[in-house]
Amino acid sequence: MRQTINRRDFLKLAGLLPLSLAAPRFMQTSLGKKNVIIIVFDAFSAYNISLYGYSRATTPNIAELAERAIVYNNHYAGGNFTTTGTASLLTGTNPWTHRAFELFGEIAPAVAAHNIFNVFKDHYRLAYTHNLVANVLLKQFRNDIDELIPRELLLLGSYGSFVQTLFGNDEDIASVGWTRNIKLEETGYAYSLFLSQLYQPLQDNLVKNIRSQFPRGIPTANYDDGFVLGQGIDWISERLIAAPQPFLGYFHFLPPHSPYRTTLEFYKKFNNDGFEPTEKPLSVFSQKQDKHDLLRRRTEYDEYILHVDKEFGRMYNHLESSGLLENTILVLTSDHGELQERGISGHSTATLYEPVIRIPLLIFEPGRKTRLDINTTTSAIDILPTLLHLTDQAIPDWAEGTILPPFAPTVQDPDRKIYVMRAHKNKHDQPIATSASITMMKEQYKIHYYMNYPDLEKNGQNELISLFDVQTDPEELVDLSISHKKIANALLEELKTKLAEENKPFL
Amino acid sequence: MTLPRSNGNYYHRQGLLSLFLMCAFPLHFWTLLLAFRDISWVIERTNVWDAIGVASYGMIYAFIESLLVFIVASLLGLLISRSWSVERRVALLSVFTLVISLWAMVSQLYFLWEVSLPDSILQALAHNAHPVRTMYMALFTLTATTFVIPAYFVLQSDKGLKVMRDLVERITLLSMFYIFLSFVGLVIVIIRNV
Repeated sequence: MRQTINRRDFLKLAGLLPLSLAAPRFMQTSLGKKNVIIIVFDAFSAYNISLYGYSRATTPNIAELAERAIVYNNHYAGGNFTTTGTASLLTGTNPWTHRAFELFGEIAPAVAAHNIFNVFKDHYRLAYTHNLVANVLLKQFRNDIDELIPRELLLLGSYGSFVQTLFGNDEDIASVGWTRNIKLEETGYAYSLFLSQLYQPLQDNLVKNIRSQFPRGIPTANYDDGFVLGQGIDWISERLIAAPQPFLGYFHFLPPHSPYRTTLEFYKKFNNDGFEPTEKPLSVFSQKQDKHDLLRRRTEYDEYILHVDKEFGRMYNHLESSGLLENTILVLTSDHGELQERGISGHSTATLYEPVIRIPLLIFEPGRKTRLDINTTTSAIDILPTLLHLTDQAIPDWAEGTILPPFAPTVQDPDRKIYVMRAHKNKHDQPIATSASITMMKEQYKIHYYMNYPDLEKNGQNELISLFDVQTDPEELVDLSISHKKIANALLEELKTKLAEENKPFL
Repeated sequence: MTLPRSNGNYYHRQGLLSLFLMCAFPLHFWTLLLAFRDISWVIERTNVWDAIGVASYGMIYAFIESLLVFIVASLLGLLISRSWSVERRVALLSVFTLVISLWAMVSQLYFLWEVSLPDSILQALAHNAHPVRTMYMALFTLTATTFVIPAYFVLQSDKGLKVMRDLVERITLLSMFYIFLSFVGLVIVIIRNV
């Protein structure tokens, strides 16, 4: 009987092709260098991680593994959504330098070569993401990546997969268009009056075998098709074990990003557990979500984190038992956080409160047997120079981060300022002038600066400032901008001076 | 399958064109309506060009869906007795397409406006021995009635036919504009993909 090969199998086989072509090159030139694996779970807030003190036990597996890791307790993303956050992580630069501001945006062309893949030339570079938005950045760096694993490879089969093939140069918007046309599942309405009614049963039939495992529905990747995290984890793990060494692998999985669809195992795990979130005042940017809705969404998010925790634990154990981790630095982090408070749910928000920007960072290095806690404030931009340092490579001049403790040869500058930003209405080639949020952290203080938002203009303001002492008030409940006016003014002055300096070339 | 041509008792070219445009009208109208509703959502997240892109894909899909609905309607037309004139049969199929489309819109508006059935109806259904069966029967009766009444007037009354003919004339004009927008959408999609 004639055997046929389907598209998925073909892609899997095609994925192995670069291995056979590249193996001799990497084996000859880079023997002895450490591998690097960066695992990013999207929208993974440190605030909701029990390892970092959250009262719900959301991360039992990660907590256990952390006993052999360096745990960064005050680590911040570069932005509060995927584009900016991922760009800072991958470029080791602040948002006003890489200028990936807009959703689906790219790094400014002039600095596009400043990325982690480009500087790890001696390593075999692999990358994958479920996330359509992060995929825009990976595609921009494709010339610096030896093996960019096709996004659809780790998605479930779909009748809509033709969109990626047919509209490959406009994949993101074509996917949005397709979803808005055909899929009733999320909203109950679609552009199509008739095909949408036919599509849903057909699509359901395609994934009926796994549907029962996901009581809240099968997780979907942004605007298109479903995926199963465990399948992705398994595929990537096997791929890494077979990859030419040394390698740099960047793997950006979508969970626990919304929709929060945990597995049957963790469904309703935290239901009615008596958890009471800290009461916080409504934000000026409130989406008017009532507290019951916020608690429900928080619970669903926390249950989804349990799933992430289990899958990461499984991946770690698999890589460890294969022996790969004996020569591999493994980084676990996120691109941004998630917020379920102050009338806001998610991360499509102007605000930069702790839950939406403080993210996990754990570094597992070969041979480490004990946990080391780092309480210094650190940033996503520090990962690139740190990994270069750990793999004995030169750090380029353009990198803006610093080598993380405990690897840094010198003590961190006590005056160091860390920036997080959202400027999604701004263009990469223009000064940052419209609807932008910037927070600057210096010592124990964190100043929030919001400018030119319509929500503010409605109240006759064009900027809003608040100041918190995040060491004594990590929940950001007491705004010190009035009581500590002198400090607030000094920090604001510093921030505005920096912004003006960064805007100057674009004026 | 080859459809008989004019005077071949089933359709003539003008009739088929009218039917296609009548099929295209509600589908394009609904797409445009929701695309406009989405524009600010997309712009908020990306930019105007991407919002135009999303709408453009929508218009292309609407055109393809129009073709499919037109084929189905044309085939259904073969089941209608040839004792009616071509004009009446096209008018009847147009009524059918419009009524079905309107009900499809209502089913989506139910979610779009987040409405719920009145409590009294829900209570009555809850106390019924076969609530699902009853609900489907009620919906079928309602849908069938909204089709049968205008269909009767189109088939039995010259005035009814005239009203429908006037409506078709007006709608086809608008529909041609929508088809033009689909063509513009196609151009935009090509530009985005080169």
